[in-house]
Amino acid sequence: MPVNAEKEITKLWRNLHTAQGELCRTYYRWREVALEVAGPDANPLDIGLKAAEMIGKDFGKSLLPRLNWLKGEEAFLMNLGRALAGIWATEGGIAMAEKGEGPGEILIRCTRCPWPSVAKEFGVPMEEVALTRERFFQSILGDVSVFFNIGLKIEMLKAIPRGEGEYLFKLSKDNQA
Amino acid sequence: MAKVLFEWDYSSYPGAKAYPHIFKPIQLGNLIIPNRVKYAATEDNLNDHNGFITDADVAYMRSRAEGVVGGMCFMQGVYMDEPRKGQGYVGQAACWDDKFIPGLKRIADAIHGEKAVAGFQLMDCGRVGAVEVPVGHAPSTVPQRLRIFKPMLEMTNAEVKEMIQQHVDAARRGVEAGFDVMEISGIVGYLLSNFLSSYTNRRTDEYGGDIRGRCQAMVEIIQGVKEVCGPDIPVGIRLCSEELLQDVRGNTPEESMETYKIAEEAGIDYISCTLGWQESIFPVISRDIPQGNWLYLAKRAKENVKVPISMAYRLFLPHLPNKAIEDGELDIWEICRSQIADPYMPKKVLEGREDEVRHCVACNLCLARLFRDAPMTCYINPLCAHEHDENIYPKPVAEDDKKEIMIVGAGPAGLECAYVAAQRGHEVHVYDKRTELGGTLIEAALSPYGDEELLTCTRYQKTMCEKAGVEFHLGEEVTEDLIRDEMPDSVVLATGPVYTPLQAKGADTGHVVNILDALTGKAEVGENVVVWGNRKPGIGVALKLAKEGKKVTLVGKDKSAGFDVNPSFKWRYMIYLRQNGVMAYNDCDIEEVGDGEIIVKTYDGYRFPVKCDTVVAAEREANNALKDVVQSEGIEVFVIGDALVPRNLSSSVHDGYRIGLRI
Repeated sequence: MPVNAEKEITKLWRNLHTAQGELCRTYYRWREVALEVAGPDANPLDIGLKAAEMIGKDFGKSLLPRLNWLKGEEAFLMNLGRALAGIWATEGGIAMAEKGEGPGEILIRCTRCPWPSVAKEFGVPMEEVALTRERFFQSILGDVSVFFNIGLKIEMLKAIPRGEGEYLFKLSKDNQA
Repeated sequence: MAKVLFEWDYSSYPGAKAYPHIFKPIQLGNLIIPNRVKYAATEDNLNDHNGFITDADVAYMRSRAEGVVGGMCFMQGVYMDEPRKGQGYVGQAACWDDKFIPGLKRIADAIHGEKAVAGFQLMDCGRVGAVEVPVGHAPSTVPQRLRIFKPMLEMTNAEVKEMIQQHVDAARRGVEAGFDVMEISGIVGYLLSNFLSSYTNRRTDEYGGDIRGRCQAMVEIIQGVKEVCGPDIPVGIRLCSEELLQDVRGNTPEESMETYKIAEEAGIDYISCTLGWQESIFPVISRDIPQGNWLYLAKRAKENVKVPISMAYRLFLPHLPNKAIEDGELDIWEICRSQIADPYMPKKVLEGREDEVRHCVACNLCLARLFRDAPMTCYINPLCAHEHDENIYPKPVAEDDKKEIMIVGAGPAGLECAYVAAQRGHEVHVYDKRTELGGTLIEAALSPYGDEELLTCTRYQKTMCEKAGVEFHLGEEVTEDLIRDEMPDSVVLATGPVYTPLQAKGADTGHVVNILDALTGKAEVGENVVVWGNRKPGIGVALKLAKEGKKVTLVGKDKSAGFDVNPSFKWRYMIYLRQNGVMAYNDCDIEEVGDGEIIVKTYDGYRFPVKCDTVVAAEREANNALKDVVQSEGIEVFVIGDALVPRNLSSSVHDGYRIGLRI
């Protein structure tokens, strides 16, 4: 059969990576638009965090039909961790979810993330990149927590833009909530 | 002394002998109901957008009231708050003010006009409400799983008390309008069910907490409504026997049974047993669920409470409720979609005319329409929601206008057209090259997950044709010569679709079989099958072959598989395709057929091989055969059903009916 697999895969691979790069660039272009509209008094970090919050909330909503409690708490948390890692993978990162040390703890580890390098092109401070990622994940958990009636928290333990070599998030139950 | 509204004597009817337990009286509270039939409250979106009753709704209800032959006939649930947070449907009737009473009275009078018992339902749609306003109300602010629904805000304690009073006030208006039975809706995600469920009620005041706390609003509503209804108007409630919300931490079945017991303690006179929410991820009422599947829940309810139990949910055939009532597992046969499909269904059962029942095919198009703010429609009943329109009924033609009509094709489109035209007085001849009636529906009904129920459509049409005097010419193919010999006044081409030949390279030498032959087993089908065409016929054959153990891939040009299936049914097909390991490549076509594999080409030009020893061709197109011949003879011609545009069973039936009226 006359399918040149190498050619087809290369074509797909190139288009996927272009789309992933454009995703990051589009976000930072919009950040510039927002900063210009907001005026010189606006704090860029505040705008970045607000964007992360809104985008995260919408992502959280899209997770609601895909998560379920049928297999119990442990499986639920692992599925949620995988969903968060999956978002990173879609963006062009390398990420995975794994069991943490404590009961009900899930670690989300990302060893390659496209966002910091694109952020550099747009002159965005690295700390903002780290903090917006944390806020993004926290906002995703907002609706998920309320919907499933379970307190959830996520903490950023390491971040690539802080020079720590990888991102590491700990997802766990929030017994205070 | 118990109250009797209308005297009915069923003793001379054949249906009362065949189903004696359905056609015997029952006492609810202080009221004697002549039989065990209940048309369940059903939204129809027929009322105006301010909640006033329309002629269309009155006519719709009158026909259902005639159908219950003395039983209970419930109008749709009314919303009760002026801010419209409790309104779940754009055409839902309102009852938040006395100004609605005259309209409601028209419904009660219409039901009484048929000597049936008029039922009124109180329904705040809660979590699935706020259809016309941006934010709804709920016991707690819990995000929506489905984006189609509006965000909910937690009600204050005072607002809960106000809502309870709204139920009581609306009940009083229902009584003033002349209704005989009162019902409170506490199911499928509506407000009261939101209070009952651990999923949606996180309150810490007296209306939340444990199951008893979550039932408190229900208890106060029952007590308040009972008070305004007095001893002669029984008050019932619809409650979930199982929410099917385990995936979101909803009530356990035990908690649901507790709600039944608490409702009984509060003084309820009967309970309508339901299951599932609109948000549930399990199918409940579609045809993939066997008839009678849920009767065990009614039985369980009866084991937990002493008040009468009614139930709808996949009980389309009278022998099922008759037996369940006889066995003490059920008290009242509720009917909803069956009377959407045929308003006179129980009446026909009573009169021994079961063969004239147009059975519901459990497709849920009616629900899909309601959720999309459209008026009620039935997949197979063209009259549904048009009862008020006198032009929708067949009218006799004048003697001089009677025609000799040749209908080519004895599928659902042709048969529907045939009996309607014959009822009007035309002389109708139906031809088909096949030796049995049904057209391609015969093969379609071989698909799994309940599709055999589709055949009820053509069984009904056959009966109606026979009674209307239609003449059948089966096993006789219509040719140009036959048309010229017969020279009818009109020809209706209901020949079904043409199956599109696969134009891919190598298709002429590859193993390509027709979908009909694949379904019947006439064609040999290998182990690695590609079904070409991702609409309903393709999905049906894919599922059938996958269930036979074959590896099936679906390739189709539509952007998503099942484009022609209504959304309230489609999601199940998506689950079944996944469960059966059927891979669907949508927005794709077959570029080449080779030895042991095919090449799939995506809409944007990517190409990849798929293992394949058999291609099943399920793509269809319009069938123009004979049209030119008929026209060239100057004969009036109509093309209907899939011959006009390949669509679905519903379009065939509706096409047939309307052309039957027009000729």
